[in-house]
Amino acid sequence: MSTQMATTGDNIPTSAPRAAVTAAHDQSQPGAALDTKTVGQVTVANAVVSARKVNVYYGEKHAIHDVSLDIGRNAVIALIGPSGCGKSTFLRCINRMNDTIDAARFTGHITLDGQDIYDKRQDVVQLRARVGMVFQKPNPFPKSIYENIAYGPRIHGLVANRTDLDEVVQTSLQKAGLWDEVKDRLEHSGTSLSGGQQQRLCIARAIAVDPEVILMDEPCSALDPIATARIEDLIDELRQNYTIVIVTHNMQQAARVSQRTAYFHLGDLIEVGATDQIFTNPMHKLTEDYITGRFG
Amino acid sequence: MEGHIVRTFDGEILNLRMQVLRMGGLAIDQVQCAVQALTREDDDAARDVVARNAQVVGYARAIEDDIVGVIARRQPVASDLRTVLAVGRVATDLERVGNAARKIARLALELDGARDGVPLQRFYNDVRKMSRTALAMLRDALDCFDRVDLEGALAVVHRDAEVDNEFQLALRGLVSYVMEDQRHLGSTIQTVFVLKAIERVGDHARNVAASVPRFAPREDLVAGPLPPAAGVGRDAERDPRALGQG
Repeated sequence: MSTQMATTGDNIPTSAPRAAVTAAHDQSQPGAALDTKTVGQVTVANAVVSARKVNVYYGEKHAIHDVSLDIGRNAVIALIGPSGCGKSTFLRCINRMNDTIDAARFTGHITLDGQDIYDKRQDVVQLRARVGMVFQKPNPFPKSIYENIAYGPRIHGLVANRTDLDEVVQTSLQKAGLWDEVKDRLEHSGTSLSGGQQQRLCIARAIAVDPEVILMDEPCSALDPIATARIEDLIDELRQNYTIVIVTHNMQQAARVSQRTAYFHLGDLIEVGATDQIFTNPMHKLTEDYITGRFG
Repeated sequence: MEGHIVRTFDGEILNLRMQVLRMGGLAIDQVQCAVQALTREDDDAARDVVARNAQVVGYARAIEDDIVGVIARRQPVASDLRTVLAVGRVATDLERVGNAARKIARLALELDGARDGVPLQRFYNDVRKMSRTALAMLRDALDCFDRVDLEGALAVVHRDAEVDNEFQLALRGLVSYVMEDQRHLGSTIQTVFVLKAIERVGDHARNVAASVPRFAPREDLVAGPLPPAAGVGRDAERDPRALGQG
């Protein structure tokens, strides 16, 4: 694509030739050349999720601007940045959680395994089964530990009988590193667990519907250091089978758990790169100033 | 670069750098005194240098402790991490400069008994000259470290060749001397050790200077709220390795 085309963006003059309009549209598609101001490599070879020119508006407020980013398979990507920079907004775009906000408006494209998740034929419930989410505060259902895990597979029709369901519950709890602690009290309420255990229960609940991607929005901010360490260890194990996107305010946590890091600032994706590079040799001054604690 | 939000962190980084500069001043003084003790045949001064090396080592240990403390408390990253690591490396080099001074002082004491009848004074000019060059390099290297002067640091790195050349010249003179009169082989070897110790001071000065680009604010950082849009190849252009930094 020519430089002229690359800088034209979405603002195609009405008099533009047809070919130019097509090229500008294609630019927002995965695989097309990117016109991005982001520093670093926004594309990856093994992308599960590809976001192109994503904009989100909350009413008049333009929350994120032209964000393009690939999320690679079986890896952890950390989204960091000061409060209000758009990192959680971007995260919530990946499973269309922003749809639940009336004033929110989305433009751009996000694909999951090449399928546009904002296509009007997309079943949002099915999407959220493929893209699970773990929130800042553990939010188990006020039901038994067993039922917390069994709920998702049951409503999505993933199991044929009780034996299968038992197996899914056990496997999910094992993958979440919680089985040994709760196997003798599966009938107890999920809310009776400690904060760290509740968060792992929520992760197990997300895993139970066999997602491809797990979104984590500050999953450890309400946990003590030991519970945080367990979750971080779990994240490292889970990436063997899942793709994880984590929003965190804790930069040491981002450095510890992720392979790639994306830095957001005032709605822009400023820089993305290998976590080691971002935390040792960031290429953008804003990234450097933020991670070294010079503003935030 | 503007300061940290946590201002005490700025103080801790500054304190580390100030300690290194103080240690550097002491190490330079040690080498100067050791060379004077040798060339003036002043045994008391040589013993003082040997005793004072504990202060240099003390600085090195204190800086090491402070670095461990800063890493544990602040978890520095990016330029802060590079600065802290550079301080550690410079402190190690300065400790070795201190060791070189102690070695010269000890050799001065050992040579004391072997000087009679040996015209080693003719080589002391080489020792003085080499030490002046090496210590000037070290002073400049520390100055560049203090001012984060990349150009000056590069110049110091290149000057290491001067000390090496002076060492080679002095060595040739000593070899000629000992070939003419092999009775003084022992004291000549001692003198070679002195020259080698000074040549190592030059190497450490070069290392100190070479540390400056490692923690200097990177000039290739993209500045401003957003960089201008660029086309294909922008990542390669911004690769710090391609710019000789990072």
